Amino acid sequence: MFYFVCALYAEAKPLISALSLRKDAFSCPYDTYFSEDSSVVLTISGMGPIAGAAASSYLLTRFGFRSEKDFLINFGSCAGKDPGLYLINKITDNASGRTFYPDMLYDLSDCGLPSSSEKALVTVPRVVSSLEDPESLYEMEASGIFQAASHVLPPHRMLFLKYVSDAGVENAKAVTAEYLSSCSEKYLPAVLSVLKKLEEACEEKPSIDEELLLSTSYALHLSETLRFELRQLFMYANASGKNMEKILNDLDADGKLDVSSKREGKVVLDAIRQKLI
Amino acid sequence: MQSGKSLFNYPFSHIYVEDSVRDMELTRSILARFSKSVVIPINHYKDVFNRSRQSFGLQKSSQALILAKNTGESIFPGAPVCQDFGYDHFYYASSIRNCIFDCEYCFLKGMYGSGNIVVFVNLEDTFAELEALLAKHPVYLCVSYDTDLIALESLTGFTARWAEFTKNHEDLTIEIRTKSFRKDIYDRIEPCDRVIFAYTISPDEIIEKHEKRTAALTERLEAAAYAMKKGFPVRLCFDPVIYCENWKDSYLSMFDQVQKHIDTHQLKDVSIGSFRIPADYIKKLRKDFPDSPICQFPYENRNGVFQYSAALQAEMEDTLVTKLQSLVPKEKIYRIDVDE
Repeated sequence: MFYFVCALYAEAKPLISALSLRKDAFSCPYDTYFSEDSSVVLTISGMGPIAGAAASSYLLTRFGFRSEKDFLINFGSCAGKDPGLYLINKITDNASGRTFYPDMLYDLSDCGLPSSSEKALVTVPRVVSSLEDPESLYEMEASGIFQAASHVLPPHRMLFLKYVSDAGVENAKAVTAEYLSSCSEKYLPAVLSVLKKLEEACEEKPSIDEELLLSTSYALHLSETLRFELRQLFMYANASGKNMEKILNDLDADGKLDVSSKREGKVVLDAIRQKLI
Repeated sequence: MQSGKSLFNYPFSHIYVEDSVRDMELTRSILARFSKSVVIPINHYKDVFNRSRQSFGLQKSSQALILAKNTGESIFPGAPVCQDFGYDHFYYASSIRNCIFDCEYCFLKGMYGSGNIVVFVNLEDTFAELEALLAKHPVYLCVSYDTDLIALESLTGFTARWAEFTKNHEDLTIEIRTKSFRKDIYDRIEPCDRVIFAYTISPDEIIEKHEKRTAALTERLEAAAYAMKKGFPVRLCFDPVIYCENWKDSYLSMFDQVQKHIDTHQLKDVSIGSFRIPADYIKKLRKDFPDSPICQFPYENRNGVFQYSAALQAEMEDTLVTKLQSLVPKEKIYRIDVDE
């Protein structure tokens, strides 16, 4: 699942249209849009780092982020020297001076984002009229989003994609909604390509048969400590390619699972261990 | 349309450089080797290395390099789970954190939150710290515990610098442990009986399944033999001994390879020790690597150290020691016992 945070509706509009996102009908503090299959959810945060942090927290806590398969993407405009879409590798919060680093694990060069498209970004509290460091990009949400999201997200599950809309303006209204949407539209193919590529980045971890674990624990009258030991045996069986269900069925066929006390259960636990090693 | 390129960036595609070391010679020479990498200036290495919720495993697929200055201690007392080989003042130095190899059971995965590599480019400060320690007493120092120095030699040159430093300090003995195949280092430094090259030796089956990117058994043995030929003291470390279903066959066949390549009577010494790991580390390893049979093995927790059951441990080690005694004088065999 992809979670998008965009500061403005104008920035998000082409994405909403391209991904056929529908507005969440429930009353919620942020305008939120869904894809029909729930693979994409997008929230409009409003401008500023606090708005970005609050919207990210809302999004992640309401929808339950899965760190092994989901991504949070902050997509939007920024001020910079050269037009283009950039992948952010360093975020500096101008107000506090703190820096944050999304992990740069994924090769997105075939999505139109080669390593030369990486840049450092500065999050500022207001629209900039000029570029203090011409090599950096300037915007207003990323540091807040990173700080809020990093409480639950690993740094390799956050992407900050920013396109340059201007080189600094005296009056924010000079950058119109229509212009921002047209810029977003321009970089839409690259963003969609990133989504397609990152679908591969699923880290689903093997899981054990919790039902079988629980029923065996009860059958063997195991204490909490011994249940933990049994869980570890399940984990080892899984990792080493051994069939725990068969081991238990064999023991059951021999009548060894029919125990009446914790002490007898512990004997069976040892028998399971011996069959595994 | 996707081009079928790798999902991950290539190793060292990103190099984080502390502002304080940007102009140091070693920093410049390392950066010159990676002209296509993205260089990201940082204030302090911990801003990157100590971030929360990093994936050690995934970062191993696209390791970043961090060049930094170590401003704290870099020499630490040796851990009780490590072999001291009879030396009284056993320490280890941490001039590089993490390794380019990817051993499934590596304690570094439990020790650090990041799989990225930190090179402390101010090795001279570690030397100064060590000289202060040497003024008090002789020192036995393992310099390649937190990394594989030889594997990173072309990048850092640290192995040669440690060898040179040790040669000039009579009360210092160092051990450089490795799983590398590289022999060229032995043509570039002079032998010294206090610079011990220690090869971790495992059966091919274990290397192939659990020691990713490391040299094959024969490559390690050939490198060890070459070091001996050049006059360097060489140690073989059968440590960690890893349980697998056919461990006896695997390890006995490994000894055949050892005999084939090495004049075992010329070895400085050998060590043997079953896999063991502090409780805090295995907890993290088990969480991060649920599909690893080594991490998920149902070890016994004895005095805060996770180990094979005493019976299994004794059976494996006794078998190996018996075999080793036919190859190496008994007094050269060091066996670790963390239960002592």
